[in-house]
Amino acid sequence: MNPTPNPDLDLTITRIIKAPRSIVWNAWTDAASFEQWWIPEPAKCKVISMDLRPGGALVTHISETGGRFEPHMNASFLAIDPLERIVFTDALVAGWRPAENPFMTAIITFEDHPSGTNYAAQVMHKDRAVRDTHEKLGFYDGWTTVAAQLARLAEAQASR
Amino acid sequence: MEQYSDRLDGIFVALSDPTRRAVLGRLGKGPASISELAAPFDMALPSFMKHIRLLEGNGLIRTRKSGRVRTCTIEKKPFAAVESWLSAQRAIWEGRTDRLERFALAKTREQST
Repeated sequence: MNPTPNPDLDLTITRIIKAPRSIVWNAWTDAASFEQWWIPEPAKCKVISMDLRPGGALVTHISETGGRFEPHMNASFLAIDPLERIVFTDALVAGWRPAENPFMTAIITFEDHPSGTNYAAQVMHKDRAVRDTHEKLGFYDGWTTVAAQLARLAEAQASR
Repeated sequence: MEQYSDRLDGIFVALSDPTRRAVLGRLGKGPASISELAAPFDMALPSFMKHIRLLEGNGLIRTRKSGRVRTCTIEKKPFAAVESWLSAQRAIWEGRTDRLERFALAKTREQST
C-alpha cells in the first residue's frame, strides 16, 4: 500500500501504457534504456550507477547542451520488487548515508492491465522552503494567497 | 530538483515582512518611484531602502535610476515559482512518463516484428 498523498507536497501520475509490464520494467531498470527517456532532449543523461537493491545507488549525470556531463541526481533505492515496484529517494545516498539536501521520495508501481501496464509514479516532496521557512519566520497564514495574488498581478502587468 | 526550493527561500524571506509585502502589492499594480513607495510608511528613508535592497537582492524587483528618480518594477518570474513549484515538479514527471511510454511502445513494436 502506498502512503496517503499530501496534496500540498505530493504528486501522483498514472498512465496506462500499451506495452507488456516486462518491457516497461526493463525500460526503467536497464541503465542504457533509462538514459534514453529520463531527461528531455536535447539534454543527455548518463547513468553513473544503478544498483537495483535497497541502499543501492541511483546516480545520474546530465549534459544540458551536449557538452560536459555534470551531476544531476544522487539518490538510492529503498525497495526493488521485481516487475512490481521501485522506491527511491534523494534523502539517502548509496549505503543509506543521509543526503545533504533531501527533496523527494518516489514510488513507482507497475501492474498488469488489459491494455498493457498500469504505471504509476507517486512522488512525495519534503519542500524545505515552503514548510520550514514558513514555520521559522512565523509567517502569517495568508502567505499562499498573497503569493498567488502577487503572481497574478505581476502577470497582468507583464502582459500589458 | 533543488533549484525551486532554493529560489523559494529568498522569496519567503522577502515576503516575511509587512512593509515588503505592501511594497510588492503596490508594485503589482505597476512601476513606482521610491518616494511614492515610501510615502505610506512612517519610516526613515535609509530603513525603507533596506527593504528595497532586500527585495532587489532576492530578484523580486528591479530598480532603475533616471535622473534623481529611482523607479522600481516587480519581477514576475519568482512569484510564478511560488505558485507552481509543485506544478513544475508535476510537469517534469509528466514529461518523464510520456517519454517512458514512447520508449516502451517502440520496444514493444520492435519485439513483435
